[in-house]
Amino acid sequence: MNGLAQAAAAQTAGATRPIGVPPGLFGQYELGRPFDEMFQPDGTVRPHCRPLLEELLAASLPQLRQTQVDADRAFLTQGITFTVYGDEQGTERIFPFDLLPRMITGREWDTLSRGLTQRLTAINLFLKDVYHEGRILSEGIVPRELVYSCRHYRREMRGVHVHRDIYVSVAGMDLVRLEDGRWVVLEDNLRVPSGVSYMLANREVTKRVFPGLFSRYNVRPISHYGQALLATLQTLAPPTSSDPTFVVLTPGVGNSAYFEHAFLAREMGVPLVEGRDLLVHDNVVYMRTTSGLRRVDVIYRRVDDDFLDPLAFRRDSYLGVAGLLNAYRAGNVSLANAIGTGVADDKALYAYIPEIIRFYLSEEPILPNVDTYLLSRPDDRRYVLEHLEELVVKAVGEAGGYGMLIGPHSTADERAHFRHLILADPRNFIAQPTLAFSRAGCFVGDGIEPRHVDLRPYVLFGEKVSIVPGGLSRVALRKGSLVVNSSQGGGSKDTWVLLD
Amino acid sequence: MRYTIKHVTRFVYDAAISESVMEARMQPRSDGLQRCLHFSLSTSPGSRVLMYQDHDGNSVHHFNIPGRHSRLTLTTDALVECSEPPELPYRLGPQGWSQLDALAASGEWFELLAPSAFTQPSELLTAFASELGLTRGNDPLVLLRRLTSEMYKRFEYAPRSTRVDSPIDDALRSRRGVCQDFAHVFIALARSVGIPTRYVSGYLFHEGGDRSTDGATHAWAEALLPEVGWVGFDPTNNLLAGDRHVRVAIGRDYADVPPTRGVYKGSTAVKSELAVAVQVGPAQSLFGSDPVPFTPWKSRDAAGQLVDGDLGSQDQVQDQQQQ
Repeated sequence: MNGLAQAAAAQTAGATRPIGVPPGLFGQYELGRPFDEMFQPDGTVRPHCRPLLEELLAASLPQLRQTQVDADRAFLTQGITFTVYGDEQGTERIFPFDLLPRMITGREWDTLSRGLTQRLTAINLFLKDVYHEGRILSEGIVPRELVYSCRHYRREMRGVHVHRDIYVSVAGMDLVRLEDGRWVVLEDNLRVPSGVSYMLANREVTKRVFPGLFSRYNVRPISHYGQALLATLQTLAPPTSSDPTFVVLTPGVGNSAYFEHAFLAREMGVPLVEGRDLLVHDNVVYMRTTSGLRRVDVIYRRVDDDFLDPLAFRRDSYLGVAGLLNAYRAGNVSLANAIGTGVADDKALYAYIPEIIRFYLSEEPILPNVDTYLLSRPDDRRYVLEHLEELVVKAVGEAGGYGMLIGPHSTADERAHFRHLILADPRNFIAQPTLAFSRAGCFVGDGIEPRHVDLRPYVLFGEKVSIVPGGLSRVALRKGSLVVNSSQGGGSKDTWVLLD
Repeated sequence: MRYTIKHVTRFVYDAAISESVMEARMQPRSDGLQRCLHFSLSTSPGSRVLMYQDHDGNSVHHFNIPGRHSRLTLTTDALVECSEPPELPYRLGPQGWSQLDALAASGEWFELLAPSAFTQPSELLTAFASELGLTRGNDPLVLLRRLTSEMYKRFEYAPRSTRVDSPIDDALRSRRGVCQDFAHVFIALARSVGIPTRYVSGYLFHEGGDRSTDGATHAWAEALLPEVGWVGFDPTNNLLAGDRHVRVAIGRDYADVPPTRGVYKGSTAVKSELAVAVQVGPAQSLFGSDPVPFTPWKSRDAAGQLVDGDLGSQDQVQDQQQQ
């Protein structure tokens, strides 16, 4: 197809290929129904992506391949790896990194930022409410049984005062962009969201492999994330401690995100500890050090609620600290995040977040939700069971892309299996339309092709909400795939929020 | 009626352990018809005993003992005043079930209507319900009265026949158990017909004819009935709870209110024994200085059983069953 024919096609049904771009690297680049982050529907490059396009057009395939090798080596030598559970052949992998930065304009970011701030503010008010007077439950806005039957609801937290009422200090909300360019929130991730170290590492590597390009753009910085996290933890310090001690609590080297735990502890300049390094005496948490016990005031914990305190939760856990909940209840130590925040990121409760925003803030949600069917509702269930091949079904308690059915990509056997699972425990499932979320150009070895991409910004709640501009852009590197999770063959790319 | 209660719990380990952390739900409640006038809890080795109230209003004492020890004793003393509940009607009346349904619809009692860890529905439970003809055909209060007396008739009270973490199927299958099992079966059945029901941990001041073990803690169930309020049913002894029942803690089931719950650091090879002695007496008769006689049941039933064998030298847990 020549350029003229392409332009003609663009006028009628939108371009199928980028316009004004020689085939070469972009020979396989198709524009389709999903929003393309680099090209407009008419096939022309988005203005803010032009310098990136020029850089790519000036490069050769061997050069890009060499750049990819350099980038991968940088990750490997830094030990930036993660663990794939349920994979027999060696579980440590480097996190696949795509060379091309994903661009977000400043104006767009400001809207996202306001939307995320609004959402997290409402969620914190909701958590305080459900663990205290429960107004939203008595008024019937959120069904009581939905909260009480949630696996992550912690009745032990009822009536427990949380310092400054900050339940979620760190959230990693997943956003995607729909066909019409609108951003929607897909998941809130309010327990122990991970991935921020990849966001920071991606930036370091991109700066190294594209120094010229990076300086031609005015990219908002993100390298202060560690300090912003520390500042957030400082607002949680109990008022009684004049010189508070902070620690990062990790489950240990076996955990998939251990690298990140060590990374964040180093960035903040605070000790990285495991449960066995801590103990509770007379309701105060101490850390065992070579010079004796040292009082701990704030714990950035990357251990799930279930494993945090064998006295209060799972008895067989040896990742936690016995008596921690009692010390916390007495206000002698602060935790980020608080215990029990998972009730607000239950996938069924997610459907109520717009109502939650309206209830506590009397505002319309800035960032919409994805339409969600609750399979505990008979009408929703009937519809979903009749349309399994079109919908995405998710288990409410699972994360990381586990326990999920993607209707259009599923086999009849898989659908039959999910039908069985749903009927056995409807409360445990939700369904959503299969989203054709946006695609961004990725270097796939032989050229540049679009792949589906999401965005996980890291939202910190301290004195106020602060969000380092950007987040982790995760890409589904397999062609056509909609699953971006690192545990399911996804990768990531750097995210540039522009200053304009 | 005033009672003094002395409750001694002793853990003996055959090798020294360290870093014991323990919670005790042993202080009688002050609510309804009962007042706790005095309570003290002390430990040996000594510790600083702290307390909080949980969301159900139970007083939870907790302490830790960091150093090495091979024996741990908790001693509580309580003075409690209990009044006889007002006379209960025989039946609720024709509005009973619809009023209960309205209670359920309010959502407020969701947790006392839904199955909890120890009150999961099972085929054996359903079979037992149909054996008793337990349906909504009867008046709710009559149904619970019948359930109490039928359980008393059909189940044998047999200490050591079940364990602290036994599912109700064990008792349903063998038709034997202790008060904890009876309470759980009762609760599961009452909830299955839509009556909000909770577990009560406490003590019974024994009289001749009581079947449960004197010298131990006791457990029963309380159901919420329209216009009557909370009513205690003691299927172990075929009683409505009265002024001989001293209420200590309430919860969804045993898992919410164990008298002691603890963990410690030590080798999994360490065996522990648990002994409990309880004396409940009228307040005017002061206990002598003689040590309280220990009931001779051992921890293999109680403390050792939740210890997971593959934990290595890690936190160990200790629990005690309610008799």
